[in-house]
Amino acid sequence: MDEFKSGFFVGGEACEGRVLVVDDEPDIRKVVKMTLQKAGYEVLEAENGEKAIEVINSGENRLLLDVVICDIRMPKINGAEAVAYFRSHYPRVPLIVLTGFPDTDMATSFLRQGVVDYLVKPVEGEKLRSAVARAIEQRELARL
Amino acid sequence: MESSEHTKVAILGAGRGGHALLDLLHHIPSIEIVGIADRDLAAPGLQRARELQIPVTNNVPDLIGNHGVSLILDVTGDPEMETYLHAHKPPAADILSGSASRLLWKLIQHESKLEAELLQSEKLAGIGSFAAGIAHDINNPLQLILGLAENLAEERDLTAAHEQARDIIEAVKRTSAICRDLTRYSRRASPHEDVQVSVNGKLDEALKIARYASSFHDIEMIKQYQPGAAVKGNPDELLHVLVNLITNAVHAMERSGGILTIETTVHDGQVDIRISDTGSGIAPDKIHEIFEPFFTTKAPGKGTGLGLYNVKTIVNKMHGTIAVDSRIDKGTTFTLTFPNAEPTGQGHPS
Repeated sequence: MDEFKSGFFVGGEACEGRVLVVDDEPDIRKVVKMTLQKAGYEVLEAENGEKAIEVINSGENRLLLDVVICDIRMPKINGAEAVAYFRSHYPRVPLIVLTGFPDTDMATSFLRQGVVDYLVKPVEGEKLRSAVARAIEQRELARL
Repeated sequence: MESSEHTKVAILGAGRGGHALLDLLHHIPSIEIVGIADRDLAAPGLQRARELQIPVTNNVPDLIGNHGVSLILDVTGDPEMETYLHAHKPPAADILSGSASRLLWKLIQHESKLEAELLQSEKLAGIGSFAAGIAHDINNPLQLILGLAENLAEERDLTAAHEQARDIIEAVKRTSAICRDLTRYSRRASPHEDVQVSVNGKLDEALKIARYASSFHDIEMIKQYQPGAAVKGNPDELLHVLVNLITNAVHAMERSGGILTIETTVHDGQVDIRISDTGSGIAPDKIHEIFEPFFTTKAPGKGTGLGLYNVKTIVNKMHGTIAVDSRIDKGTTFTLTFPNAEPTGQGHPS
């Protein structure tokens, strides 16, 4: 994993933002990382809710996470519980749900809980990148 | 028939008709099959009778005359037998033969057709519940394929492009394997002659399918297979039995996770398959009903109540038995016992 040095500069290049992707499938983490790195984002990974919390709490990451993308069908902490957990403990970090099984009832409930976007796999790279950009933009606006 | 007395029945003829009658009647409590007769002591129905511990004979006069028989089922198809019976039957006995017994045979065949339909519709209803698991397992590789293809569309480096193309090919193969497993499982059980089936192989297949029905997350798996365990039967039907039992076990542990233990043992000419969970268990007052059709503890729309009924039907068909041991909040164990298809007990490559 990339060793994080300082601020928003990774290897000398400006970083658009830092994203944490939480999914038990290594393939998904790989392709989301690939897709977002292309747009200049730094991507961290976690394979389940538990690990995600570790990553979030380790060092400076917590203050500098811009978006979390997570699936809802995962071991250890069931995704729906993870969403509730993130929303209550890290309310300022925007959450995007990326799932393989669309469920409109669940989607509505998530959006009501404050999840900023609900995406269904397979999602095109463009769509994913603009969802992340939108989430960060909304966050900036919220800070003003 | 409202009395609680047994109806004593004698079956004449141990061909397909006699065999079917044995299977049909032997587990009806108010019917006692006093014996079954056939000229040929090697007739297939007689073998089944011995398994069911029903007396076997080739002495028809003794059978119909000496055991308080009230109904004689003549499925020999022999017109001379019909004549003989009418002349020699005990006064208290009724005879079913000739066209009446052909009608009975038609009813039995219809019933087994109905059972096959019931089995198929229960299986398909179960597959509906796999939708979330299927979507997950197919959409995930699709996401990878999409991402790689998007990259490929702009990739200038030939080496990287080749690697991405290879990754796409692998992802496609993985996905089509999933579809193959599912479509194979959902097809109607093929009505073949019984064949030798590797039990351990079928259990692994069943585990693959069961993963679509429910999440195996938070479930620890313990597998203890005795090599070479083999039984005789219809492989699709055995698979269905195992998928049902494993799915039930995993569902029982949905709330809190737990341990799924699957064991196979071979001993004394028998094969045992044990499927255990550490889940919610079955209440003692319900445990006798679980094999009844339409018994279910699931919420409306969540279970057909036919799973265990079909499991028992198939197990009986395979000349096996099923036993259940359960304690509330401790867990449940189902034990299937079948005759060993490998009488020498030697390993058989699956």
